[in-house]
Order: sequence, then C-alpha cells, then structure tokens
Amino acid sequence: MLQKKICMLGGFAVGKTSLVRRFVQSIFSETYLTTVGVKIDKKSVALPDKTVDLILWDLAGEDDIGSFRVSYVRGATGLVLVVDGTRAATLAVALTLRERAEAEFGAMPFVLLFNKSDLADRWAISDSEINELRQLGWQIYLTSALSGEHVDDAFRQLASMVTK
Amino acid sequence: MHGLPREVRSWIYNFFYNEHSVAYLKIDAQLCIAAKGGSVKHYGLSSLRIGKPVAEQLEFMEGLLPCPELPYHMAMVELPSGRVADLHLFADNACVWLLFLDATAERDNRQRLQQKAYEMTLLQERERQLNEKLQSTNEALRQSQAGLSREYQRAESLLLNILPASIAERLKADEQIADNHAEVSVLFADIVGFTERARSVGAETTLAILNYFFKAADLLSERYGCEKIKTIGDCVMVVAGLPAARSDHAEALAHYALELRKAVKLERFAGQPLRLRIGIHSGPIVAGVIGKKRFAYDLWGETVNLAARIQTSAEPDEIRISDATHKLLGPDLTCDPLAETELRGTGRVQMWRLPA
Ligand SMILES: Nc1nc2c(ncn2[C@@H]2O[C@H](COP(=O)(O)OP(=O)(O)OP(=O)(O)O)[C@@H](O)[C@H]2O)c(=O)[nH]1
Ligand SMILES: [Mg+2]
Repeated sequence: MLQKKICMLGGFAVGKTSLVRRFVQSIFSETYLTTVGVKIDKKSVALPDKTVDLILWDLAGEDDIGSFRVSYVRGATGLVLVVDGTRAATLAVALTLRERAEAEFGAMPFVLLFNKSDLADRWAISDSEINELRQLGWQIYLTSALSGEHVDDAFRQLASMVTK
Repeated sequence: MHGLPREVRSWIYNFFYNEHSVAYLKIDAQLCIAAKGGSVKHYGLSSLRIGKPVAEQLEFMEGLLPCPELPYHMAMVELPSGRVADLHLFADNACVWLLFLDATAERDNRQRLQQKAYEMTLLQERERQLNEKLQSTNEALRQSQAGLSREYQRAESLLLNILPASIAERLKADEQIADNHAEVSVLFADIVGFTERARSVGAETTLAILNYFFKAADLLSERYGCEKIKTIGDCVMVVAGLPAARSDHAEALAHYALELRKAVKLERFAGQPLRLRIGIHSGPIVAGVIGKKRFAYDLWGETVNLAARIQTSAEPDEIRISDATHKLLGPDLTCDPLAETELRGTGRVQMWRLPA
C-alpha cells in the first residue's frame, strides 16, 4: 500500500479546506468555516503506473505566521501552497510557510495554487508575476474550488511528483 | 504527582480522564501496534488490530514514525471519526506511546474566536481593496476628463485659428460645408522682392518678417470684419462678406488694404521698408471645407482667380482693384483709373488704384 502525506499550506481563508473538499468529495460551499488545528482526509489517485493514497493534512491558515505550528508537517512528502488570487499579500504568506516547513524538514516537492480564479474581476496577481515564478520551474496552477477548474490537475501533478 | 495527597491525585486523574477521554496506543520498533487501551472507542479506534503496522490502520500516522525528536506533540488533530485530539508521542525504550487527549471543546471554542477574528480581518481587507479601487477609478476618471477637455480645447483653438468662428461652429456640429456666396470681395497681398531679400537676410529674419506680416493681416482682419483665409508662401488671401454676407464688403476690404499697407511699412526688410503688392476683386465664390483630417477652409471660383491675377499685376506699394470692386466703393474712396491691361486668361480689363 502506497500512501503519502501532503500538507496544505497558506494564509487564512485562501481556500485550503475548499480545495480539499472539492478534490475529495467534489463539493463546494460559499460559507467560510475556518479550520483550527488540522483535519485529515484521504483520496486515492490513480497514476498511469501506480495508485497512491494521498493523506491530506488541511492545516489552519495563519493570520500571524509566527503562530504557525510546523510540527504538523513532520512526515510530509509534498506541499500544496495555496494563494488567494484576490488577495496579493497571501502569496508572501504561502512562500514564507514553505520556507518554515523546509527549514525544519528539508526540501520537498510542492505545487503552487493561485485559487479563486473564478473571481476574475477581483484578481490581484499580475500575469508577469506568475510567469516569473514559472520561470523558476515551479508547478503553478490557477484553481477554483468553486468551479473545480485545475483542482484535480494540481493534486495529480503533486501525486506524481511525490511518487517519483 | 509526588507530594500530592492521594485524594487530590485521584481527583485530578478522574477529572482528566473523564474530561479528556484518554486513550493510548503502544507502538513497537517495527511500527506495529503492540497494545491499545483507554477510551479507544471514543476515538473510533476499537477496530485497530494488534500486531499490524500502525500507519496502515491510522493514516495520519503516515511518515510520523520513527520520530527522531520525542516527545512530540500535535494539538487539535481532527480524526476521521470527527473527534478532535491532542496527540502526544513519547518514547519508552524501543517502543513509542501514542496518547490521545480529547480537545474537541477547546477546538470549538478556539474556532468561534478565530472565525470572528478572520471574518473581521477579511472585511477590513475587502473594504481597503474597494476603497483603493474606488480611488484609482476616480483618479483615472479625473485624469481622462482633464485630458479630454484639454484635447477638446486644443482642437477648438486649432479650428478657430484656421477657420472663421461660425464655420468652426458648424464643423463641430458635423455639417457638410460648401456654400455659394453671391457677393464677396477677395484680396491677395504679397511681399515685394521677397525671394531675393529672403536670400540676403537669412532664414531667421525672413521668418520674423513673415510672422510680422501675417500677424498684421490677422489683427486687421479682426478689426475690419474680414477673414484671413490662408497664406501661400509670402502671400495672404483675405475675404470680406463671408461667412456672413455684408453689402459693404468691397469697402471694408479696401480699408483693410490701406491699413495693411500702412502697417507693414513700419517694418524694414533687408534695409528697406516692407512693401506689398495688393489686388482686390469682387464677385461670387464658393467657400467650403476640404479634407477629413486637417480642416482647410478655402474659396474657389473665377473671382478668386482674377483677384490673384490683379494682385500679381500690381506695382510695389500699389493696391489694385478690379472695376467690379470699384463700382461698389462709396464716394469717400476716390480711385485713379489705370490703363486697360491684358491679364493672363482674361483678356483686357479695366482696373483702378486705391489712393496712396
Ligand atoms: N469564489 C471562490 N471562493 C472560494 C474558492 N475557494 C474558497 N472560496 C471561499 O473562500 C472562503 C475560505 O475558504 P476555505 O476553504 O475555508 O479557506 P481556508 O484556506 O481553509 O481557510 P482557513 O481554514 O481559515 O485557513 C470560503 O468562503 C470559500 O467559500 C474559490 O475557488 N472561488
Ligand atoms: Mg480551512
């Protein structure tokens, strides 16, 4: 049995819980219910050569990065970094959380999600900024937990990265 | 709990055990479950099988063991059963104990507080965003309005510069313009010996001279109610009786010519007074605007051609007028008759000279 621990990292209300619910249960809710601590979910992903169970740790998004509990990340093999595309400041939060996690447990594969892509009129991240990050070779997705756009793609990509 | 009376110890034990529903697992060096106990049912752990790998049965244990830093603590982990537990891992020789302490109530309390705090922060962020957007929209609107009115004023002053005001008004109102005017007088005036003198004084002085001449022509046309139609090299074309008709167009233009001649004489060009040849003719013309992008108001017709030819035939300092114009002048302007002269394309014509 192949299973991999994955952590959802990002600022509060960026859509970590919604993305997991979209991916695991194919549902979405407009209502915001903030996560405290961590909630664990599981989803099987069938890759061309194998099937892997992703154990998804949906962490509380921090308001204040200082209070981030890095201990939850122990044993993780990959990260889903989530940015709220309508709140520019959440990009820096996601990147800082990744640094904190990697400083503690070493480098690991990640995908970077600019979420809420359905809210085009409130979009706050420039294409050039996203392209610059792509130039670093990062796997970047514009996702919407609401419509489901690119959500599966992002998780499948990470699944194949952590099983390499 | 050394040093505490038995009663206190047992009260603390009961309190903790009941409030926090303690459960435990013992995990051996092979990462299999060696023992379990306490409120395992509370956490939905009853079906855990002794002797089997822990991570296969409890997926949240994936990757956690072996753990190099024990004891290890993870607060408020929501388990698949829905219970929330504080997890404690601590070492015991080759084995590891995993302790579950219920934290559902604590989590729910924190959740309520955090929910309020985050919703408040989100609202404030959103308000700031909207304000910024409003401000930048306002600023953009203000700028484009200022730009527009600047553009408009520029276009308008350009129009007024090259077109009679009433024509400019009609152009702005999008009218097509090509009007017949039965009776107008047309004047041409150019500088005597312009080419040679320009060569001798250089470009800068020549431009200054032209500027002076054209300015004088403009100012006087305002004073006498004429319209300067255009300049062609060192030549100006002026009309009276246009765009509004007037019966005294010939007289107005004659006075204009006299003043223009006087005004330019004050200026010196290559050491001599600036002198003009002036010609005037009266008759019907067509006036209109040509061009879509650059407006040019112009006059056409035989009257215009003849006026130009009369002007070329004039002597230096002379204001030469056609017979038609002469007939329209009042008694206060007595003219000298000129000998009938052959003009190119017209034949012999009678012309007059306005007094000096
Ligand atoms: N329009 C839109 N709304 C979204 C999307 N994803 C999440 N949301 C909304 O954003 C809010 C926050 O979503 P959550 O999934 O709870 O965010 P979170 O990152 O888990 O938040 P914390 O647990 O507090 O860190 C909710 O109101 C969601 O409905 C999306 O893709 N599009
Ligand atoms: Mg959440």
